[in-house]
Amino acid sequence: MSENFGPLRRDFASRAELITYLKKTFPDEYARSPQVSGTLGGRKAAEERLAAIDPTRYAATRNSLEGAITRLSPYLRHGVLNLDEVRRLALEKAGHAAAKLVNELGWRDYWQRVYRQIGSGIWQDREAYKTGWRAVDYAQELPADLREAKTGLVCMDSFVEDLHDTGYLHNHVRMWLAAYLVHYRRVRWQVGASWFLEHLLDGDPASNNLSWQWIASTFSVKPYFFDRGNLERNTEGRYCQVCHLARKGCPFDAPLEQLQERLFPNLGPMPVPERDNYPRKGRRDDRRR
Amino acid sequence: MTADAKVLVWVHGDVLDPRGPALAEYPDAPAVFVFDMALLAEYKLSFKRLVFLYECLLEIEGLQIRKGDVAEELAKAAAELGCSRIATVDTVAPRFAQICQELRRSRKLPVEILEPIPFVELDKDEDDELDLKRFSRYWQAVSGRAMKL
Repeated sequence: MSENFGPLRRDFASRAELITYLKKTFPDEYARSPQVSGTLGGRKAAEERLAAIDPTRYAATRNSLEGAITRLSPYLRHGVLNLDEVRRLALEKAGHAAAKLVNELGWRDYWQRVYRQIGSGIWQDREAYKTGWRAVDYAQELPADLREAKTGLVCMDSFVEDLHDTGYLHNHVRMWLAAYLVHYRRVRWQVGASWFLEHLLDGDPASNNLSWQWIASTFSVKPYFFDRGNLERNTEGRYCQVCHLARKGCPFDAPLEQLQERLFPNLGPMPVPERDNYPRKGRRDDRRR
Repeated sequence: MTADAKVLVWVHGDVLDPRGPALAEYPDAPAVFVFDMALLAEYKLSFKRLVFLYECLLEIEGLQIRKGDVAEELAKAAAELGCSRIATVDTVAPRFAQICQELRRSRKLPVEILEPIPFVELDKDEDDELDLKRFSRYWQAVSGRAMKL
């Protein structure tokens, strides 16, 4: 700890030069995962994204991968932007139609407040799993096939590659990948939470871990899971179309009630997936925050 | 601490706005960011996250960038720059509180912690009484204000 590095460099002619310097400055991190995201850091890039927000379209299309999402999360996570300025611009642009976007900003504020209250407790199950399984029934390691993007499920493998290559996942993708790991593979949410924090540019212990707990049901009244129809519809079918499991062998291809019985056999009749109790539109299998 | 003791602004990874509260309060003070090497190792942060952070840091004019043990590096920077107190912006991460404590106790550097810009303004009682058991309860309490300009 007494190693003397002194101030690091700030003068770079290009991004390539910066990256070359950082490889030498952070060799362990580079050795662990050498990818660089296309997302640029800094207030300028943040302001460009901020100016482009469309709160009305966001509300209507945010569940879809093609939706008008803001991509502000890395900047909000690191305080390059603050929630208040995004909130104000959203209201100026869209008035009452900004309600959904403002609500999502509220989630970040909420997670931060919970973090202040419980500190490192964000790493512990807030409540028992409501899946019919005990915590000890869940595996403690990330399955190798998933980490290597070799599950054979084109959707999940693509999500993993995106996570590793870009440091960004659409919120709905995070929910599917998390539900797949926790419920379909029965792995402890903490394993997935650590993995996401390694890679997501917006990785924040509070938002990340508590959202994983929400999926897992240790910080919600019911587990979140999904079926193929939900994923296929919100991805415009782009993964299913090229997946050799699409015809036979897709683990998500069943009615929710059957999936529930398969995933949570110790539970009684269908407790439907978690939803929060503010008014919202959407199909039954689209229940999400 | 005397009012004219020279301030060192500590910029950390939860508030990287070049116009953030501490930089705005002390526009002429030297400012330092330290990559917390123990934290990087603990979280196994990937290289792409560091590139993103570094790009954010480069947009904060004059910011000195260091790596190592945060309190130790801040103390070194303070000594080199002739500063005798630290100013920074509050954040909820438990590690932030630990570092502030180390700066005060072991490094004998007073720390002024400025408030971040809140999502919505709440008075102290409201803040203390917020029910955080579920998001819906929290949202019921703050959504009215959140929807006002």
